[in-house]
Amino acid sequence: MVIKMNFEYSEKDENFRKEVKDWLDETLPKSLSEKVKKYQRLTKEDYEIFMNNLTAKGWLAWHWPKEYGGTGWNAIEKHIFEEEIIKASAPRIVPFGVNMLGPVLIEFGTEEQKNYYLPRILSNEDWWAQGYSEPGAGSDLASLKTTAVDKGDHYLVNGQKTWTTLGHHADKIFCLVKTDLNAKPQLGISFLLIDMDTPGVEVKPIITLDGEHEVNEVWFTNVKVPKKNIVGKENEGWTYAKYLLTFERTGIAGVPYSKSALNHLKMISKRSLKNGKPLIEDPIFSSEIAELEIDLLAMEIFNLRTVSAAAEGKAPGMESSLLKIKGTLVRQKTTELLRKALGPQALPYLPEQFDEGWNEMPVGPSYAGPIAKQYFNMRKISIYGGSNEIQKNIVAKASFGL
Amino acid sequence: MDFTLSEERKMLQETVGKFFNSNYKNIEKRSENVNLPEGYSKEFWKESSDLGVISALVSPKFGGLGGSGEDISIIFELVGKSLCVEPFLSSAVLSSTVLSSISNPRNDLITDIIEGNLLISFAHCEMNNRYEDHYIETNAYLKNDEWNINGTKSFVMNGDDASKIIVSARINGDVNDRNGIGLFLIDNDQTLKRPYNTIDGYRSTELTFKDLKGELLAKDENALKCIIKANSAGALALSAEALGIMQICFDLTLDYLKTRKQFGKSIGAFQSIQHRMVDMMLEIEQVKSAVMLASSTFETDDLTRDKNISAAKNLVGRVGKLIAEETIQLHGGIAMTWEYSAAHYAKRLIMIDHLMGDSDYHRDRFKLLSNS
Repeated sequence: MVIKMNFEYSEKDENFRKEVKDWLDETLPKSLSEKVKKYQRLTKEDYEIFMNNLTAKGWLAWHWPKEYGGTGWNAIEKHIFEEEIIKASAPRIVPFGVNMLGPVLIEFGTEEQKNYYLPRILSNEDWWAQGYSEPGAGSDLASLKTTAVDKGDHYLVNGQKTWTTLGHHADKIFCLVKTDLNAKPQLGISFLLIDMDTPGVEVKPIITLDGEHEVNEVWFTNVKVPKKNIVGKENEGWTYAKYLLTFERTGIAGVPYSKSALNHLKMISKRSLKNGKPLIEDPIFSSEIAELEIDLLAMEIFNLRTVSAAAEGKAPGMESSLLKIKGTLVRQKTTELLRKALGPQALPYLPEQFDEGWNEMPVGPSYAGPIAKQYFNMRKISIYGGSNEIQKNIVAKASFGL
Repeated sequence: MDFTLSEERKMLQETVGKFFNSNYKNIEKRSENVNLPEGYSKEFWKESSDLGVISALVSPKFGGLGGSGEDISIIFELVGKSLCVEPFLSSAVLSSTVLSSISNPRNDLITDIIEGNLLISFAHCEMNNRYEDHYIETNAYLKNDEWNINGTKSFVMNGDDASKIIVSARINGDVNDRNGIGLFLIDNDQTLKRPYNTIDGYRSTELTFKDLKGELLAKDENALKCIIKANSAGALALSAEALGIMQICFDLTLDYLKTRKQFGKSIGAFQSIQHRMVDMMLEIEQVKSAVMLASSTFETDDLTRDKNISAAKNLVGRVGKLIAEETIQLHGGIAMTWEYSAAHYAKRLIMIDHLMGDSDYHRDRFKLLSNS
């Protein structure tokens, strides 16, 4: 059998890429992409500037079907879009409302919920947070302990969520809560929408090992949540949670991030000196870079194979998990080699350099400042979103028949 | 063969260990020391001197009570276990090694260091010399019988608080020549200082000199020999420090695996996790062995000394990465937080590979020495 493969994007795809790129060139403020490039701290407004631009263009809900105000793009177009916004150093699209909750509401929400929440997500009126993990429920998410007790017209919610990314900016949070305490772990869970300004909701910052505040604890003490805020059926929240977790995540491998990190690595290796010569001329270090590039090259095709199958309507299965594992390892490897390339220049850490408007002289080259911090920060990607160990369990369980 | 510590060294280990633990009770206490104006506790430094900890790092020939490879390893393994930020490495190891290795050793200055009255930092690293012993851009010239030093030294540990600095500078030749290097002693009050903290919590400084007067300590072959010996002593100290950190990382991780329950059992009950702990354990045994070997040959000929130290530091770089990354991964999110000590141990363990030669540098040096 002869299979003729085509690794090229179609002309239509290339035109689409150009359209996205031109739009970004035109609308993304230079000051904002500079902040992203320098790993400076982004304010709530910084995220909103970009997201409001997307709203105005009609591209914010790039995962949604057209009838709900989405783009209706196929998987390849989504992939191109994601690649271009990362290449342009745009802030990330805060995913909790538009990428996570939106699709769940479209699939399982009531008409009332869709009519109320979806337009508010599209207009960036609501900033959503994700209430999944708990101190005692990480890998084993189904063992969560936050309870919602039926009090007639409302639920009374008590418990604690953790690792809530950007929760300090959020107006609303979607939570997995236990509504049947006697059911088996995965059965008594419901999917609840909670206003952050309800009495009894408290957000506490978690400072991460790089000294930054991005994640939070969210505490619920006797929080009254109207019954109409439940999504789908009571005790069936696990189905919706899984739907959300496995929802088409074309970007899971983070290929464009690794690609831009690889370019950065090559640039730094040309400027860093070893024994008076550019580090890139060191045979062993350049071999390490080459092997990383080979891994990335293969992974990009692996990713495109999955994207392309998804464009033809095949839901990605194990590929998502495999891409998540390999994608995080490759991305972490780029941060490791960047750190190594700097040598002692990786040591200085000036927290104030990540503030907007910082314009003092850096210690060493200007690119050195964020590198070690990034290396440590990126340890999280093999932990969150279902740790790599959990991904391996999923693959082994589903594919081997052991 | 005997791989056990002598009674005296066991006592040293026990006394110093208790003393370190009494000050560095927890990670908050360490953060307090990091945030002091000098980046370390002067009080703790003085107490260390009174207890003889600094003296234990210096040979009796120069007024100390120790200074062997084993002594350095014992003290630094404990420095690692407590994540001490005091100038044990900069002043007590690097500077005192230079001062004792020059043709006319400066026992007067070494005594002041031991007594905790004088801090001297060793300024050799530069922005472009990576980990090299001889690549030096800073230069010195003689005018009216006085040495004048010009240039910038980077990553000078405790270079803001030290009263004196030992500076390596080029007297003649090209930046990359092995000859033509001088070592100078300068007063630190005339230098331009840019202090900062490193990502793992240690104080470092960039020092700039403009026609600064310095006293010549050593030149040419003797100067290079001193730099190499100081850097080797530093690499040995850091290897032992890393070993201490690895043991803490292992213990913290094992404790967590026993207490953290997911899927109805402790996560340590999963075989795949147990195997990873065994990998960590055996690699730590390897590091321990390499550090022991390097310690025992610290006072032999230069070639054997440097070869074994490079072996240890290379292994420390490779295994350090494994232990730091596995410690975080096996803990999960909790080890990503500032509040929990494991994150700080992991950070130091990784950054030790950015001091006194990384795993690549020491692999290359080992190759050279092993084939010579």
